[in-house]
Amino acid sequence: MLKMSFIERLAVSTVATVLALLVGLVVVAVTGYDPVVFSRNLLEGSVGSEAAIARTLMFTTLFILTGVSVAIAFRAGVFNIGVQGQFVIGGFATVLAVLKTAPLLPEGTIGGVVLLIVGTLAAIVAGGVYAAVPGILKAYGGANEIVTTIMLNFIAIGAVGWLVEGPFRGEGQSAPNTERLPEYVGLPQLIYDSPSFSIIGLGIALAVAALIAVLLRRTSFGYDMVTSGHQESAAGYAGVDAKRMIVATMTVSGMVAGIAGAVFTIMIQGYYSDPAGIGTYGYDAIAVSLLAANNPLGAIPAGLLFGGLDSAGSYIGISSDVPAQLIDGIIGLVVLFISAPELFRMAAKRTGLGGDEQ
Amino acid sequence: MTVLDRAARNRVRLGAGAVIVLLGVILITWLDLPLSDLFTVGFLSRSLQAAAPIALTAIGGLYAEKSGVFNIGVEGFMIFGAVNTAALTWLIGGETAGQGALWMAILASLVVVSVYAVLFAVLVIRYKADQIVAGLAVWFIGLGFGPFMAVLLWGSRNSPGLVSVDNLTVPGLSELPVVGPLLFDASPLVLLTVLVTVGAWVVLYHTRYGYWIQAAGENPEALDTAGVSVARVRYAAVVFSGVMAGLGGAVLLAHAGSFTGTGDTMVNGRGWIGIVAYLFGNYNPIGAAAAALLFGGLDMLQIQFQTVGIDLPNRLVNLFPYLAVIVVLTIWGSTRVPSSVGEPYESEE
Repeated sequence: MLKMSFIERLAVSTVATVLALLVGLVVVAVTGYDPVVFSRNLLEGSVGSEAAIARTLMFTTLFILTGVSVAIAFRAGVFNIGVQGQFVIGGFATVLAVLKTAPLLPEGTIGGVVLLIVGTLAAIVAGGVYAAVPGILKAYGGANEIVTTIMLNFIAIGAVGWLVEGPFRGEGQSAPNTERLPEYVGLPQLIYDSPSFSIIGLGIALAVAALIAVLLRRTSFGYDMVTSGHQESAAGYAGVDAKRMIVATMTVSGMVAGIAGAVFTIMIQGYYSDPAGIGTYGYDAIAVSLLAANNPLGAIPAGLLFGGLDSAGSYIGISSDVPAQLIDGIIGLVVLFISAPELFRMAAKRTGLGGDEQ
Repeated sequence: MTVLDRAARNRVRLGAGAVIVLLGVILITWLDLPLSDLFTVGFLSRSLQAAAPIALTAIGGLYAEKSGVFNIGVEGFMIFGAVNTAALTWLIGGETAGQGALWMAILASLVVVSVYAVLFAVLVIRYKADQIVAGLAVWFIGLGFGPFMAVLLWGSRNSPGLVSVDNLTVPGLSELPVVGPLLFDASPLVLLTVLVTVGAWVVLYHTRYGYWIQAAGENPEALDTAGVSVARVRYAAVVFSGVMAGLGGAVLLAHAGSFTGTGDTMVNGRGWIGIVAYLFGNYNPIGAAAAALLFGGLDMLQIQFQTVGIDLPNRLVNLFPYLAVIVVLTIWGSTRVPSSVGEPYESEE
């Protein structure tokens, strides 16, 4: 997939998305629903109203951050499938850090800002450490990171689930939730009147994407990361320790996943609940990153697309009978189609539409 | 090859295994656990039931990988197998589905899953899809469309109680001590798993087709030169792996008696554990099944802990298999994979 030109990648991503949506429509029709109504619901649910747009941008924020996290690792040839776990651990660390630090600080805006920073730093450290573990196991133990990161996802969800059920359940909470963050800890609503979206959150996501793009492209650290993943021997001659780069890659990737977790906790939820019931942003992020050809800046439009899809999904779940899980299936189909660019190349050749690059 | 050779080759493996057993023994004596209460025949029988889906999936997965294709999508195929069996049981037998409906549903769902597996094989072999990405996609599609089908049929991500498979009692043999209740008064699907394990071992190591599968993964050029189509062998192995994972999912459902689609569905990582089971078992079907039994046993420890009065929260004990997988992978990480895994093979013609 690395040998493709920019145009080819764009074409593959576009065709894969369109094809997956078409299959989705066929499934809708076959199961006895109206594809036209479903399509209209998709549009209404993603951009049809101010609330829909705010919801779309809320999901976009998470998908950009988690997508960038995946992209860092994939770029460097490390398969971090554990973004979901790092996201959960990061978000939970934010709640803990804010709740523990809050009594020490004055209430109000200044205290709120300090707590935001403390909470986010906690998430970055927690996410980074949790991702460094499979990195170390891969680099020094040869343990396949795909499997270990998936196992660590299950462990993160189970362990945090147990923590919010028991030891960290908020006082008098009937549901297994932690205490709420203090009122004054949150991002201000500047544009949209939505309790769970702030344009500042989106700004953070865009800034992180830009920062990582610069890191990968303009710094020697980023250069070493990418080359050691793809040309280990070359990196070795250049004096780069490939094993240390694997650990570094995983750590940076997990730090970004941690930021996503902090944004989720602070901007959207305001407390932590059983992570088994939280959206699978870390898994969908793999689709986002692949769609973006593992380019951090590409994660912005790809994140917007998936933000729209997820937003439409939650709208469909409420306002129509079509099971919202269909959206998850469509996301899976996008990944499937992206995995086989050869499919499109052959199809293009056969139909006479381009395909003459080779 | 003599036993000693084999032992020398597996020295690290055996050594690490011994260390794990030793740690277990130390832990048990240190905590002063009543061993006889912990390891009962009932526990073994529950472990076998829990191990069967993992073992079947692992055996399919190792065939695919031996042939040169990493089928990382087995978790997804398990979800398809489970949800299709549940749906078909319900469609055939309705609310009062019996054993007949369940068995028909298992067979029919294998047919359905084999169609998916063929599509996956075509994508990976003919169209040279990235094996890791395509495999992940199968999982995501299962995570989406599995619960989708459940909501469609039952209005909820979980099915109502359907039917679980009846024990098969073999007269006479079931009277045997230990082995009797384990195999001959047990789920017929456990017995089936034992037969599949032995059969898979014989085919892989003692038939011509088994050698072809190994050659397709180790030295496809040689196989091609010998006039055997590498693609055809790989197709067979990949479709087999998909169907076996589907059977694993069906067995999981038949033992549970209903479909659970919340979270990561009732399969909940068992396909991934299956992959680790065959790595742990060094690509040997019998080794893979033994590893599956270890993971199955860890999965069932909860009940044993309760009976001997160890009060550990459910949710934490349920994490044991995942932790074990990480430990195993770290110690066994350097398992040698077949040399041509992951590479599409282009015939010279």
